Amino acid sequence: MTHPSSDRRGVARSWIRCLTSRTRGLLALVTLAVAAQAAAAQHLLVPMDDAQQNHLKAYGLTFNALKAGNRAEWFINYRGGSFLLPDGQELRKTATLSGVTFEPLDNGRLAQIRAEIASGNMDAVTLEKAPRIAIYTPPKSPPWDDAVTLALRYAGIEYTTVWDDEVMNGDLQKYDWLHLFHEDFTGQLNKLYLGFRDAPWFVEQRERNLDAAKRLGFATIPALKKAVAERIRQYVEGGGFLFAMCGATETLELAIAAHNADIAAAYADGTPIDEDVDAKMDWKRAMAFRDVHVEQSPFTNSMSDIDGHQVNVPARRQPLGQFTLFAFSAKFDPVATMLVQDHRTVIPDYYGVTTSFNKAVIKPGVTVLAYEEGAPWVKYIHGDYGKGSWTFLGGHDPEDPQHNIGNAPTDLALHPTSPGYRLILNNVLFPAAKKKPLKT
Amino acid sequence: MRRSRSARVAFTFAWVLTLAPQAARAQAQPGLPMRALELEQAGQWREALSAYRAALDESTTAAILGIERVYDQLGKRDSILPLIDSLITKRPREPMLRTVQLRTFAYLHRDEAAAAAFERWVQITPRDAVPYREYARLLLDAGRSAAADTVLQRAQRALGGTKDITVEMAQLRAATGLWELSAQSWRDAMIASPYLDQAAVFSLFPTPDSLRGAIRQVFRAPPVQVEARRALAFLEVRWSSAREGWLALRDLPPSDEAVKAWTEFGDEAEASGAWLVARDAFAAALAHAPTRELAVRAANDALSGADPASAVKLLEPYAAATDSESVRTVLPLRVRALSALGRAADAEALITANASRLDSLAHVRLVRMAAWGWVRAGDLAKARAAMGTTPMGEDEDRTMGWISLYEGDLKTARRILKRTTETDPDLLLALALLGRTRVDSAPAVGSAFLALARADSAAAATKLVTAAPLVPDASALLLNAAARIYSARHDDTAAIALWDRIVKDYASAPEAAEAELEWARTLRRNGDRSGAVEHLEHMILTYPRSALVPQARRELDLARQSVPSI
Repeated sequence: MTHPSSDRRGVARSWIRCLTSRTRGLLALVTLAVAAQAAAAQHLLVPMDDAQQNHLKAYGLTFNALKAGNRAEWFINYRGGSFLLPDGQELRKTATLSGVTFEPLDNGRLAQIRAEIASGNMDAVTLEKAPRIAIYTPPKSPPWDDAVTLALRYAGIEYTTVWDDEVMNGDLQKYDWLHLFHEDFTGQLNKLYLGFRDAPWFVEQRERNLDAAKRLGFATIPALKKAVAERIRQYVEGGGFLFAMCGATETLELAIAAHNADIAAAYADGTPIDEDVDAKMDWKRAMAFRDVHVEQSPFTNSMSDIDGHQVNVPARRQPLGQFTLFAFSAKFDPVATMLVQDHRTVIPDYYGVTTSFNKAVIKPGVTVLAYEEGAPWVKYIHGDYGKGSWTFLGGHDPEDPQHNIGNAPTDLALHPTSPGYRLILNNVLFPAAKKKPLKT
Repeated sequence: MRRSRSARVAFTFAWVLTLAPQAARAQAQPGLPMRALELEQAGQWREALSAYRAALDESTTAAILGIERVYDQLGKRDSILPLIDSLITKRPREPMLRTVQLRTFAYLHRDEAAAAAFERWVQITPRDAVPYREYARLLLDAGRSAAADTVLQRAQRALGGTKDITVEMAQLRAATGLWELSAQSWRDAMIASPYLDQAAVFSLFPTPDSLRGAIRQVFRAPPVQVEARRALAFLEVRWSSAREGWLALRDLPPSDEAVKAWTEFGDEAEASGAWLVARDAFAAALAHAPTRELAVRAANDALSGADPASAVKLLEPYAAATDSESVRTVLPLRVRALSALGRAADAEALITANASRLDSLAHVRLVRMAAWGWVRAGDLAKARAAMGTTPMGEDEDRTMGWISLYEGDLKTARRILKRTTETDPDLLLALALLGRTRVDSAPAVGSAFLALARADSAAAATKLVTAAPLVPDASALLLNAAARIYSARHDDTAAIALWDRIVKDYASAPEAAEAELEWARTLRRNGDRSGAVEHLEHMILTYPRSALVPQARRELDLARQSVPSI
């Protein structure tokens, strides 16, 4: 971080040496006045355009400022979605330690910025309170296999992990924001049984899920996961924010729609998939998708036709391209605008168990946030459900496009300005926004 | 996928080309297949296609493979299928035809057709491993490990074991993360086909760290199998542990095969910069098949690995040789090794004994080496005298600059030693000192640098600390250099005491930020994460414009465990 006021003082000092003593005296007074103004700045602007050196930690700085009881503002569409924080020694210190670029602002400069925001497709959204975050992840699992956990840890954002016991005990109500990753809510363990059934990590995963099912009174893993999915559905319906990535997006929806159908292969629950499973699915209950075809073959490593890329089915696999973030009207559609705040609008795509979402199976009314030009799929979608809302982002890790099992975890210190990871962190701060009635 | 298939076609093409001259020799006149091949090489695809079709009766294998390649070039891979069907009707047991058929279906992603073709093939030859092997390979290439597993399990039942499908089993197990079982299969496969060692290395390279021990156990299990040991040794080099690789090979019973394995491993270790491992491998080969070339390579590696004593020993058998090749290769290494050991008198005696066999340039180089021998022996007067006997070129002049520095004559050293592109740490330290201090004479500083040159790091560290107050404008530089030495010697207490002194007493010196960063690194390495965080925060906030701040932030992330520690 370069401190602008120290730069200014340095330049002023070099001028002083060149001037006469009288002029030097005058200039010294002016310099003192400028320095005093910088020292007395009332606000810190955290720019989120290319001037920012660590976009990801900027979200952590803002989150922790809220957590400490400060109010903040999110200047959506202004310099990449900048944040306005109150000036203070502690915040300056944290920003300096994290390498987050900030600019001290006085009230005059802030008024100019507000005028600029008022005149363009920008808006100032008040952030009130740090959301309470829950991540659905198995106990004792390392934090490095989940892009959201990686991002939160790197940014220094506090979270709690929950698993089946907590969900079934009704603990989700304690949280504002729930994150799901590549959990398979169909209970088929991502159909990895055939290829990895003897691999130690797979055996452990299956045993852990079986234990949980037994403990919570379910006969099979698919039965347990279906019940967990229903609790998550109720959580969103009741007003929670859900953010899901990778395979959790697709399998959660399948599990919710399958409340009267058997969608799990015999190796998972002892009975085959219903022959007329597509007809038995109840898509009215789902959040994002409709009329989906369920993949019935246990030998095909795909769950349904929701995913456009089908990475684990070689004959169907589609190549990666790049996706583009839609632009929204900041003043009329602030929620969608918040979710796409970024310093890049075109981002290289990355695979996951579910990489993208076929347009053909997306419900009407769902907001598409990012799309691939000319492709039959989209990458990033959002919608309301009951009193809550959900956001689905396809893919596993924005900075590891291929991500294979056993690969080294991504080190975000090497990607502090990652535009893909910013999309995740937009979702973390979005529930902090003071609710404004939508004008659309 | 398309690329790998093209690569296979290219491989087949190369194989045909290899065989082609033999075929041509066998026939007095080039036949139709040769004519077709020439047309193919000339890029005349349609003409080549006609020629290959005409050659079908004369040489079915060459013709079919040629037709497959040409259709591939024309982007019409599916056009071969009707022809293959008609040929299979005539020769249903011909594996090459069946293989091409399967390969084509796989290329076209016609999975069901491929499965049906495989079933027909198995029906015709139920006790043959080839259909299972070929189909499983194609499935593995396509990443369909589950389907490949099904095929290979069927093969085991049909064939009564895995003997004929070991390679495919090995590949399958690696593809599905069953690393230990894969290693076992590779070991079995290498018994019949020793050339598979590199394939095994390629397949097992992605084994996660935590499972590598099991791979080692499989390959090192008795009885000793040279191919398995060699594969393990090369794997270890790829896993960046060349020393472990050598452990896999060093106890091989001596034989021509073992010598070959040691020499090849020495090449690999050398290429990865594991000098002393390479030396050990060449030395083992040398003990059973002594040659001057091997001795020179081993000695060179010993010197690169800073073990001159072993270099002297390795070259002893060739010490008396006076032929021109020995003078060119062995003599300079011996002089260099003796000088590095500080045995300057012995080095000079060698030069004198061989003076008549050396040209003037070689002589000057060796004398300069011997002068450095006197430096390492601590006798600067003799070093200066030795240098005096040679005409002064740029390099010799620099040597005099160093000698001046060791004598404490900073003024002369400052005049002679100039900034270069070299990254030798002693030179960089000397240049930093000479550029920073205005002191012209400081024998204590010279003595410290001389200790560094003599590789006496303990004395060098002590002397640098003693000399620090004598050059007030560069005290922090010398203290920091001493701290680095202590740290490298794992004397963290002494290093931390110096870093503490630099941070407290020389807070505005350029070394202060580095001292605090290294202090924090040491604390983190020793498990004191909160101590490390405290120092890193202090460093970043105190020196926000230091070039080391990005490194400090990285360390801070590691200390706070906000990024994975790899």
